[in-house]
Amino acid sequence: MKNTLRQIFHSPKFVGGFCIFVFILAMMIIYPLINPGDPLERIGVETFSKPGIYFSMYDASTTKTSPFRLADADDKRVASKLSMEDRVAMVEWFGLAEVDVEGVSMDDTETLLKLWDENYSADKKIKMTQAKKKYFKRLNNSIQSLKAADKMEVVSKNPESGENETVTTIDKNAYVNVSDVTNTKILPLGTDNFGRDVLKELVSATRTSIGIGLIAGIVATLIGLTVGLLAGYVGGLVDDLLSLVTNLFTVIPSFILLILISYSLSQDQRGPSTVAVVIGLTSWTWTARSVRSQVISLRNRDHVNLSKLSGHSLVRIILTDILPYIASYVVMAFILQVSSGILAESQLSLLGLGPKTTVTPTLGLMMNWAMLYSAHLNGSWWAYFPVILTITLISFSLNLMNTGLDQVFNPELRD
Amino acid sequence: MKNYMKYFRKKIVWFLITLVFAVILNFLLPRLMPADPVAAITGKLTQGMTDASAAQEVYKRYAEEFGTNKSMFEQFILFVKKAVRGDFGLSFSQYPRSVSNIIGSAIGWTVALQLPAILVGWILGNLLGALAAYMRKGFDKILLPISLFCSNVPAFGMAVVLLVIFGINLKIAPIAGGYDASMIPNMSWKFFYSVFTHYQLPFWSIVLISIGGQAVGMRSMSIYELNADYVKYSRFLGIKDRKIVMYVFRNAMLPQITGLAMSIGTMIGGALVAEIIFSYPGLGSTMYAAVTAADYPLISATTLIITIMVLLANFLLDIIYAIIDPRVKAAQFD
Amino acid sequence: MGKIMLEVKDLKTKYITRFHEDVYSVDGVSLTIEEGKSLGIAGESGCGKSTLALSLMGYYFAPLHYVSGDIIVDGRNISGMNPDDVRKNILGNEIAYIPQAAMNALNPTQKIIRFIEDVIHAHDKSMSKKDIYDMAKERFAILGLPEDVLQKHAVELSGGMKQRTVIAISTILSPKVLIADEPSSALDVTSQKMVIKMMRDLMEKGYIKSMIFITHELPLLYNVTDDIMVMYAGRIVEKASAKDMVFDPLHPYSKGLMGSIIVPEEGVRDHKLTAIPGTPPNLKHPPEGCRFADRCKYATPTCKAMDPQTIELPNGRMYSCLMSERKLREVYANE
Repeated sequence: MKNTLRQIFHSPKFVGGFCIFVFILAMMIIYPLINPGDPLERIGVETFSKPGIYFSMYDASTTKTSPFRLADADDKRVASKLSMEDRVAMVEWFGLAEVDVEGVSMDDTETLLKLWDENYSADKKIKMTQAKKKYFKRLNNSIQSLKAADKMEVVSKNPESGENETVTTIDKNAYVNVSDVTNTKILPLGTDNFGRDVLKELVSATRTSIGIGLIAGIVATLIGLTVGLLAGYVGGLVDDLLSLVTNLFTVIPSFILLILISYSLSQDQRGPSTVAVVIGLTSWTWTARSVRSQVISLRNRDHVNLSKLSGHSLVRIILTDILPYIASYVVMAFILQVSSGILAESQLSLLGLGPKTTVTPTLGLMMNWAMLYSAHLNGSWWAYFPVILTITLISFSLNLMNTGLDQVFNPELRD
Repeated sequence: MKNYMKYFRKKIVWFLITLVFAVILNFLLPRLMPADPVAAITGKLTQGMTDASAAQEVYKRYAEEFGTNKSMFEQFILFVKKAVRGDFGLSFSQYPRSVSNIIGSAIGWTVALQLPAILVGWILGNLLGALAAYMRKGFDKILLPISLFCSNVPAFGMAVVLLVIFGINLKIAPIAGGYDASMIPNMSWKFFYSVFTHYQLPFWSIVLISIGGQAVGMRSMSIYELNADYVKYSRFLGIKDRKIVMYVFRNAMLPQITGLAMSIGTMIGGALVAEIIFSYPGLGSTMYAAVTAADYPLISATTLIITIMVLLANFLLDIIYAIIDPRVKAAQFD
Repeated sequence: MGKIMLEVKDLKTKYITRFHEDVYSVDGVSLTIEEGKSLGIAGESGCGKSTLALSLMGYYFAPLHYVSGDIIVDGRNISGMNPDDVRKNILGNEIAYIPQAAMNALNPTQKIIRFIEDVIHAHDKSMSKKDIYDMAKERFAILGLPEDVLQKHAVELSGGMKQRTVIAISTILSPKVLIADEPSSALDVTSQKMVIKMMRDLMEKGYIKSMIFITHELPLLYNVTDDIMVMYAGRIVEKASAKDMVFDPLHPYSKGLMGSIIVPEEGVRDHKLTAIPGTPPNLKHPPEGCRFADRCKYATPTCKAMDPQTIELPNGRMYSCLMSERKLREVYANE
């Protein structure tokens, strides 16, 4: 046993998978400690806020400032405000004024502005309509004003006098340290369609989904193990019947059974654990098949025959002479069951047949919400990509562990 | 030949058994649930209905559709009779279209999408797996984890990622539907081209996810085969390695047909969900629409049709396998 | 003395294990076979006899590697040849091989005739399929194999039939040396007999010019081969004619080996059946000196320190032991 464990932990594939999985588990435990609270709490009023650090503008305006003089600050500011339309117009004017803009990129705000400053003059004799001339003049004014403005006044209405009073002026060079702002919110993965913190939701969803996978895996393994042991060890008519049932459920797609069963359960009956059990009920066949074939090859081994001759009970023979020999296969099958259980839940949820939606998020439900609100079409990658990545990583780590185990127990497959 | 006939007969009988069983399950599962299925279904449908008599009307219609007022056995006979005639009743959500009409227009899309995609994925996966097994060190070290990773991306995930990258960011393929929405299906080249471009993203997302799993299986199988005695013997008779690799590839690939048969149910499940992401006009989207609209007759018929398709695919794969792999013929002697 | 078909001089090959250790399974083996002769190689399992069979062909792939020594086939030294030349010109048509596990030696999904085509085309591309078929048909008929075997897949043949088919395929190009590694071990007695008869036929009809027969079943060797070599821990400890080896073994290991078998011949029956105590040494770390010393009841401290030289007696017999022939016979007589 000890030796096997050592071998297992020497398999790079197993260790790789194990580390990823442990990391995910650790995140599930640690993150809620850092950021406690209801994962489905709606904090955003709008949908799909970008990932990042948010701080209150209101508080920031009254927070202590430190002036900085950063050389490229102006250019950056102008660059962020100078629209593509304006840039196209600028280049058009350069063309008319025969200014050489060969090789200047549209994004190169600095060069564009420099050229503009050097060359533009409203009086320049260029053949164009009066309207065009006016248009360029306006453009110039707006460019100049972008560069010129250096202070902003924050005005609020005095409740007594009803007059507008300047509360504070914000200088162009005033900077605020984010940590000094009273109200900030870090949203590493932004918010979803309901304005909920995606990371918090994701951590909670991962926990529920792994739970679903585990329950599904346990149910499937228990059924599969029982069926496989009975069919393989007892043999005869029992084997024929059980094998028939197993083969039937192998060819009929479990996904379809899942849909039928889930659909027939009403929304209120579909808690995460019910869904998990249903998944387990439809996916035990692989375990049963592999256990059965292993047991058949064990059935007539000497040590089993010896136990039989010694009059040991069926239960004892199975527990002491059979189970230890098939344990590795059962564990491997269990790992695969967990990963396919997680996948099944997500597919089911995507069809709208997942667990009840109001209590806990699951990975599938998050995906479902993101798709319903077209996160993938409006560029809100943070609402669905981390979910896909999490599902993939969980399933990848479990399969990697499984491959590692396979190589330990079936030496032909080793590198 | 006699052995083949025996084998085929066995497979046909097995196909019929599974078919009957599938029909029974399809009929029974919704009726076995603890709650009254009609109530559960109409409950969803009548949510927000204020008119009690209208809700009552809906309930009555469903009760009739289900035949809940008759005995279970009678209901079943009725169900089978109708199913054989292809009569699955009328759709509730797309009233007054018949369910068979809706499925008839969707099934072609699904078959045309999934059959080639799964086959291409299977072939590419096997090639990669064989290559990984043959190269072993190095290539194998990179390729295997990548294949494993890809095979673990859920089908819908792959679909979304492809859609966003190629459809939205690079804008090189349309993102939804089976053809340009402004067109009316016709036999023109323009229409075919539109179908072709809409085909790309769903097709490749299914191909990509099936590659990984197949490659991993093929790699193990090929490694077993590479260690087989005939490889050594052929080598010592002076046969070129290239030829021997062909032996190995063939011998490892043939059992992969069974592997495909075993996994086709799971693969189709994933591919159906991928259809939803692309709003591809196939059975996956039909099912999604039916679930969303609580259209029971449509769901029941769609699941039945998909099951039959999977069973049929299984049956055909078994037959093909028996014809091209002599090992099956030999096993029939025992 | 006939023409020398195969001469091997001080051949060394090794396995490299997964943990990058070297295992010298063939450690300085020399042998010669003349035309028309057959040589048996005997030894316990793990003594390196199967590895020797593989090493003799001059074609190596991982985990087996060539270290040193010469293999001369009909006057041509193949040990320095480019592997692809060995494959094309030597394997199958000069040296042929019959594997230990003939049960799985044939590709299960290929028809026998397709495989024969592949074998012949690997050496001679010009032969047409029809010629190959005719040739195979003729050869199969001579060897007493039914023609319809050609159109079958390996999985459709019984065990004995498979083995005989393998022998027929291995010898289809009439090789100069046939190396048979336990060709009959896994078979029932009837099939075993047929296989042995077939090997004899092949020699008599001249389809093979010489043969090396490897087995752990000594009585079989006595019946089949002219000479017998005994191998121990990667080295040859004794070579003698079959008769001498069985009735008058010189080396203590050969003596032990012969003592552990029943030979159904007169004069042997009354000796006691004994087993050699202990197990062969681990070739990852072979012992110093004589490798058999640890298990040899006649060993002296010198044996464990000094490598014994191979001694050739005037009658062509060879053995490698520190004791002289006379001394050995004295020791045996005193028992």
